[in-house]
Amino acid sequence: MEINLAHLGAGLAMGLGALGPGIGIGILAGKALEGMARQPEASATIRTSMFIGLAFAEAIALYSFVMAILLFTK
Amino acid sequence: MSHPESVSPMTQMFEEFDLTTEHAQHFFGIDLRPLNKLLAQLPLPFDISVNKAVVVLWLAALLSFGLIFYAGRGRGLVAKGLRNAIEALFQFVKTDIVEDNMGHEGRKWLPFIGGLFFFILFSNLLGLIPGSFSPTSNINVTATLAILVFFSIIIQGMIKQGGFGFWKNLAPSGLPAWLYIIMYPLEFVSLLAKPFSLAVRLFANLLAGHIVILSLLSLGILAGSWLVKPVPVFAATVMYGFEIFVAFIQAYIFAILTALYIGTAIHPEH
Repeated sequence: MEINLAHLGAGLAMGLGALGPGIGIGILAGKALEGMARQPEASATIRTSMFIGLAFAEAIALYSFVMAILLFTK
Repeated sequence: MSHPESVSPMTQMFEEFDLTTEHAQHFFGIDLRPLNKLLAQLPLPFDISVNKAVVVLWLAALLSFGLIFYAGRGRGLVAKGLRNAIEALFQFVKTDIVEDNMGHEGRKWLPFIGGLFFFILFSNLLGLIPGSFSPTSNINVTATLAILVFFSIIIQGMIKQGGFGFWKNLAPSGLPAWLYIIMYPLEFVSLLAKPFSLAVRLFANLLAGHIVILSLLSLGILAGSWLVKPVPVFAATVMYGFEIFVAFIQAYIFAILTALYIGTAIHPEH
């Protein structure tokens, strides 16, 4: 069986690229929930800021996703 | 999928997202090739041939215009049914996205940001209909929207802070002079990174969601036993529900980041 190293690279790019944002989003959601539990009246503001932070953390994983697609279709 | 089973589903997968194939020139059985032959006659320096993504873009534009127009023409204090739903969404855009992030002066940007929100939302949702195509899962569409936002930031900033002031305010004032040599290129790159990340975020989110659903359904085709086949189909259904959520979230994030970026151009940090 022929081994295409680009496919291996695509898998590694996606997996390693998802690692950091995964930890980041976990911390983000955890802290946001903590904040909401301490101050339920500030929930709306915290949720909005959480989604914005989520978008920035998620974008990093999506860059590696784009690289993985480029490698996979190579 | 209508493809024969002898072809690997994984290789078929990316052809679904390729808009240059003949398959992309059909939309729910409507052949778009005669129309493209007509359009090719026009003496234009660029290619304006229509594929299924373009048809969905038209539908999204029609829907977002038509529904808001319909809701806007409604009379009476109590909104019911569809008008109520559109009013709730628009109220959300107005207070939570525009007024919270742009202040009172940002009100004039409400039509632009509301339009972006509804257009992206309907593009995302229409792409979830089986057999349809999500135009926002293509980088060209999202990059066009992001470039619009980019020029909005620059033009609003230059109107508000002056043609020179906007570029001067990119870096904070009161720093040692030598630091500006580093700060200006950095801030300029971060200005360019804003539309880039907007475009890539929207397109990659939608594309990733659709690929996940397609991969799960491909697993169903690959599975040998009929006992196992329902499992990936069930997982794909769960992901489909999640994609409806993502469609709303991505439209919200695109709109709120646009509001934030234009809002910082109106109220620069000193």
